[in-house]
Formats: sequence, structure tokens, C-alpha cells
Amino acid sequence: MSASTSQALDYLEGQTQITHQKLYEQPSTALAVFRCMLPHLAKTIVMAMLYMPRAFTIGDLDHWIRANSKGEREKAISVLQSLHIITHSQESSKSLSYRLESGFANSLRQALTGGGNHKSFGVPSSTPDKNDVDIAFLDQFARKQWEAILYFMVGSTSGLRDSTGLGETVGNGTRKLLEIGDFVTRANHGTITKTGFTFLLQEANAQVWSLLIVYLKQAPELGMNEVDVLSFIFMLGSLSLGQDYSTATLSPTQLQMLEDLNDFGIVYRSSKTSSRFYPTRLATTLTSDAGALQTTSTTFSNALRPSTAPGKGYIIVETNYRIYAYTSSHLQIAVLSLFARLSSRFPNLVSGKLTKDSIQRAIKLGIEARQIIDYLTAHAHPQMQKNNPVLPPTVMDQIRLWEYEGERIEATHGHLMKDFSSEKEYQDTLGYAESLGVLTWKSDQKRVFFVDRLEQISAYLVSKKEKR
Amino acid sequence: MNAIDGTDRHIKSTDGPPPSLLTIILDTNPFAWAHLSSILPLSSVVANLLVFINAHLASGNANEVAVIASHNKRTAWLYPTPAPVSAHNTNGDSSSRNGAATHTQNANKYQPFAEVETNLLFNLDNLLKTTTSDDLSTTTTQIAGALSTALSYISKSTIRHSPVDPTLLESHALVIDDGNLTSQRVNLVSRILVLSVSGDLASQYIPVMNAIFAAQRQRIPIDILKLAGDTVLLQQACDATGGIYMAPESPQGLLQYLMMAFLPDATARKWLVLPSAGSVDFRAACFCHRNVVDIGFVCSVCLSIFCSPNLPDSTCLTCSSVLSLGGAITAAPALIPRKKKKRKRVAGDGSTPGGSATPLPGNGTPVHP
Repeated sequence: MSASTSQALDYLEGQTQITHQKLYEQPSTALAVFRCMLPHLAKTIVMAMLYMPRAFTIGDLDHWIRANSKGEREKAISVLQSLHIITHSQESSKSLSYRLESGFANSLRQALTGGGNHKSFGVPSSTPDKNDVDIAFLDQFARKQWEAILYFMVGSTSGLRDSTGLGETVGNGTRKLLEIGDFVTRANHGTITKTGFTFLLQEANAQVWSLLIVYLKQAPELGMNEVDVLSFIFMLGSLSLGQDYSTATLSPTQLQMLEDLNDFGIVYRSSKTSSRFYPTRLATTLTSDAGALQTTSTTFSNALRPSTAPGKGYIIVETNYRIYAYTSSHLQIAVLSLFARLSSRFPNLVSGKLTKDSIQRAIKLGIEARQIIDYLTAHAHPQMQKNNPVLPPTVMDQIRLWEYEGERIEATHGHLMKDFSSEKEYQDTLGYAESLGVLTWKSDQKRVFFVDRLEQISAYLVSKKEKR
Repeated sequence: MNAIDGTDRHIKSTDGPPPSLLTIILDTNPFAWAHLSSILPLSSVVANLLVFINAHLASGNANEVAVIASHNKRTAWLYPTPAPVSAHNTNGDSSSRNGAATHTQNANKYQPFAEVETNLLFNLDNLLKTTTSDDLSTTTTQIAGALSTALSYISKSTIRHSPVDPTLLESHALVIDDGNLTSQRVNLVSRILVLSVSGDLASQYIPVMNAIFAAQRQRIPIDILKLAGDTVLLQQACDATGGIYMAPESPQGLLQYLMMAFLPDATARKWLVLPSAGSVDFRAACFCHRNVVDIGFVCSVCLSIFCSPNLPDSTCLTCSSVLSLGGAITAAPALIPRKKKKRKRVAGDGSTPGGSATPLPGNGTPVHP
């Protein structure tokens, strides 16, 4: 699971059991959820249980998973439970055991064996397209559409919008979506917001997910079936690039979606009435995580690479805070100018400096130091990539220090747990919270602690109560 | 201020486990399969194996798989299909087109799974069709060849994935933007799974041991799933490389064994209690007749093992140094009997060996602390 899919997981965990059950009816969805939403240990557990004839007792699980990896185990089990993939049941008087949800198990088995006749992995068009398109065209299309959105967002700050006219091609629907997602505000002719900046500095895959999740949340208002939308998104992730697929088996909701996705550059259709669609690289890498994107030879960033930029990485950062960016893309320059003071521009090179002012200006706009560092690392020039760590440590520390200067207080949303009846109960719950990784702060003296997520802890407390 | 200068800046931005390459060596020895066919036919093993491969591919988005058949006289690639003339295409988008087996899209199958399946079945079919009676003159399998092929494939893939590869970066500095050399690459974690059915592997003692040592150096665990045959060499392979050894009592449940014990990759294995081999047979095979020996004679120069001291010309067969083993016979190693044996019999509790030092409260009831 990567950062890019974790927000999708958050969204998915918030859904009801009925939604989950409906989703898992499609083998492609079950597979996609398995592939990209589950923590690694959870995958191992699911696979071990998939062909197991009987339920998996907790005792067996204790023997199988090492005692010192309790934290991982709790995390895996809690994700599996919140996604309704496993349920626990009382087998006999003594042993509790876990069971795979039968709908999920059946779908996953079908996905692995390729059986059934569910057609959930996309129906390829039977007839050849008369105006056939190739992968390069799809990449270019995806890039054009997606960059238009980014330009639209960034344009307001960098002052490039008026001069270049970029970002004006963004459709009204997309604009509205960006507003709903709080990426831009309508006030002042579409100004980018704090969430917008976060969005901008994410890797492209995470950006697509962010936008799609906003889309999902908005779906019921447009009269679209949420489950349909979700399973279509997961299906898109399992299609192959360069293949045309038929729209014949899609539901009305999904047909409606195709139009919007065409606007985002996620799928390509030659016309609105065309009976076929092509997924672009934005779609086919949806269910791949960051690791896959880095290792597969033709990466996602290729798809989003401005045609003029030399390669994936283009930024050089020196220990004296100077940065050199080998790019001529307006978008990349605009993003850089968010947190760097750019001083000179050449046909293929922009140079500038990271200064206290420029970083703190960015931080005021809502960009975090971590995001800046991540961005610089992710787009570092191949020459820089040889270093470990990639960026000079002094620069990284200084960026953090500059951020820290303005932030003496850090706010975390969450819940305070207090009034424990005994020390034992306090320690027990505390230990559980710690192993889940939700613990933010504690005070042993007062027997209170603070967690940023409550659901699993309350479930734990309830189950403890039942045992008693 | 401590919050800032953490060590966290050394954490790479990649999250999640590294991609893992699973190389499966399938023993296709026809003699052994004919023997097994009543319990577990090859066809159902292949079907189970395909589900297992799919599970592996699904477990990590960048996971890769390679399957090698270790046949009677040769080894053959089952997946990926070696490209005949054109350079091996590492590009995932079009590689299915240049393979020998092309397939049509199936809406009920996930594309990558379908590709592996078509290729594997096509190649296996090809291999079995091209097996001549001449091939069947030996009854054993080319396990050493398969292991070496697997190791070389792994090292090739590792180079392709390694994050820093100065030679490639320099020679391709100009074409760096072709996408093949993504600068942010993560290390590949590899392992080998041998699905073995043949016995009588001692004849390949030296090459197999060399392969084992090579794997040990590269930190590649060799997992063994032994469905039939004796175990001498392969158990050592697991033990030396830290792999998993299993000889299932009921081979019909093959898939569950695969899914539970062999699917977890290196990342997941850290969290799990793995099945242990129990006692390992460490006996070596002699270099002169390939017999497994209990007591052997070792050359003092090159450490070759011989089963008899009567070497021709008193020279070592491997390194040709003078080696006179005649004197070794005279001092036959004597086995000193253990003295405590008598007391044990008096205690009369044969069911708990080694527990005789602690007095048992009730005779005949084995009490576990």
C-alpha cells in the first residue's frame, strides 16, 4: 500500500458493509482491492485463508505470526475487518476464528483462476477501430488533459494564466469538481487553496486518486450509483494500455462517467457516441502503487512528462541552496516558483535559490516542508539520484527548520481517552493503541492518552467488554 | 529541535515492500510424474501452480515471475518465453506480442494472469511434444542446470532493477529519457522455489552445491517443495540459503501448502513463523562415484571428498596434488559408547528421551512443563 492509495483506502473504509458486499461481487474489484488496498501482511493472511477448507482460528494465527510483529498483525486484521473482508466468529466455546467473507473469497478465487463469466475485466472491442490510436497518442492525450487541470490550478499564483492561455480548456464540470474538492476557490477568479497545493505536489497517481475520490463523493448528487462508479474505477485499473474496449456492457452510470473521465484524460473516446473507449496510462496505473510506477520501464511519469522536458528527474539542488531545473515546462516552473526564488531562465534551464522567505511563503500558503522535500526528491536529476540521501542533508534539515520556526504548536484531530478504571485497563488499551499506530500523546500520570482514530479502539473495547 | 534532525531523512520515499521475483523450477521428469500420476497428475499441479503464480503477482504490483522446467536432459524456459531473434523486450506493454504464444483478450481474466498462463502452457506443451526417446535415457532431472539458469536470470533482473547502476547510467546518459532507465528504482528481492519430484540427484552433487553457494552469496533463499524422491541434496540447499523445505504428507493439498508456506515473500517472512525442516541430512556425495557417503576422505588441498582411500596414483582427482590416503584406514574412527545408557533403562521411561535427569512425578505420564 502506498501513500497514493491510502486516501482511497480511507474512503473505502468509510463505506458500509452493504456497499462492500456489492463491490466484491465483481472479481476485478475484489482483485483490485486486494492488490492495492491491503497491507502486505493482510495479503499474506488472505491468501493463506483463501483455499483453506475451514475457518482460521485465532490460536492458529498466533502460532503462525511471530509474537514480535503484533503491531503489523493488528493493523492487517483491522483493515481486513473494516473492509469486511474477514469476519470473526465463535466456532466452539473456546476458540474464536476468522472467516473470509464468502462473496470476497469467491470473487478473488475467480479472479485468480480466471473462471466464471463475469466480464469484469473489460470487454475488448470485437471489430477493429477505423481510426485506430496508438500508445503514444494516448499518452499525449492524457498528458494534455491532465496538465490542463494542473495549469488551471497553478495558473492563478504564478501569473502565467493570462499570458499563455493555458488551463482555459478545462471543462465546466472539472472546474466545479475542483471547487467541490476545495482545490480552488471561486473567489478571486479561481484561486488555489491549501488542499490544492497539497494536491499539486503529490505524485501523479495520488493526484488522480484525489480527484476521483472527490468525484465519488459527489456521485450521488449527480444521480450516479456509487458502487457502479467505484467498481468501474477499479476495473479501469485492470485494463491494458493500447487496447480498445467496448462500451456495450457498461451501466448507464458508467457511460455517464466515461464522459467525465474523458475530460480528465483517464480514458479516451474519439467521440461522445463512440462505442469504444481506450484507457490511458492514467487509468491503467490506477491500481499500481508507487513501487510499480518506479520499476515498470515505461512509467506513469512518462505519461505526464511535458513533451519538452528532458527526462523524469530535472532538478539539481546544491548544498548552498541553489537549485537548477532543466526544464522549459510552464507547469514545472510554476510549481517550482511556489517555494523557490527563481532568478534566471534559459531555453532549457531555470535557476534559483531556496531562501527562507521563499520557503516560508510556501508554508504560509499551506505547503508542508515534507511535501517540498518529497517533490524535490522525486524529481531529482539522475545525477542527484546517485547520492544517498538524494538531497543534501543540510538543505533538508534547513527546510524543516524554517517550517518549524513558524509552528510551535501542532494540531491533531482526534479523541482523548480518559477515566480508565484501573492501571491494567489503561495499559492494555494504551498498548493496543500503540500497536495500531494511532497513539499521538499519552500521560501515564493522569492515565489519559490521545488517539487520532477511534473506530478500532472502540471496537476493541466493546469486544473486551463482551468477553467479560 | 530533536524532532527535526531525525534519521528519517534517510528513509527512502518508496513505501511498501520491494518488488519480488519468484523463480519457479518445475521438475518435469516424466518418470517421476508417471510414478505420481495416480496421486497427483502433472496437469493438476500445473493448474495449482498457475493459481499460486497469480497470487504472487497479485501480492505486489511490481512482482515478477519466471518459470523454468528442469527436464531429463535439458532445462527449458516456460515463462517468460525467450524471444527468438529480437532483443528481449522488457517493456511490459508489448512483450506479449513478440512471444511465441499470442492470445486473445478474455474479459474474464486479468490481463497479466492470462499472459503468464498462455505462455506457460504453450511452452510446457512444446517441451513435452519435443521430448524424444533419446531424452529419456536418463531417469534423473537437470536440477543443476535449472538452478544455474535461475540464478543467472535473477542476477540479470537484479541489475535491471538496481537503483544505482553507474555503468548503465554512463553509457546511456544520452538516451536516459527513453524511459527504460528510470532513475528511481528499487532493489529486487528474489527467491527460488523448486518443485521437485525426482530423486537420485547425488550425481549432480558438485554443480548443485556450487549453485547453492552462489545463491547463498547473493542472499537468494531456495525453497523446496518435495513431492517425491529422496532429499539428500535439496535439504542442504534450503538449510544453507535460509529457504523453506517441505515434503507434504498429502500432496493433494498442494495449493494450500503453496499458498500458506511458499507465498510469503522476504518481507512477510519476517513476520511469520516459518515451517522448519527439522533434521537436515548433511551428508555429502563423493566426487569419484557420486555416492552419498557417511564417512569420506577429504583432500587436504582442495577439500574434495572421496569414498575410498585407494586413489589411482595417489593423486587427488580434482586438483592432482599428491594425496596418500592409505594411512587413514588404519586409524578407523571408533565410536565410543555412551555410558549413561544403563541408567536410562532403569528409569524405564522410553517415551521421553533426554528427560531422564528430571525425576518424574508419576511413572508413565509424560508431563510437559
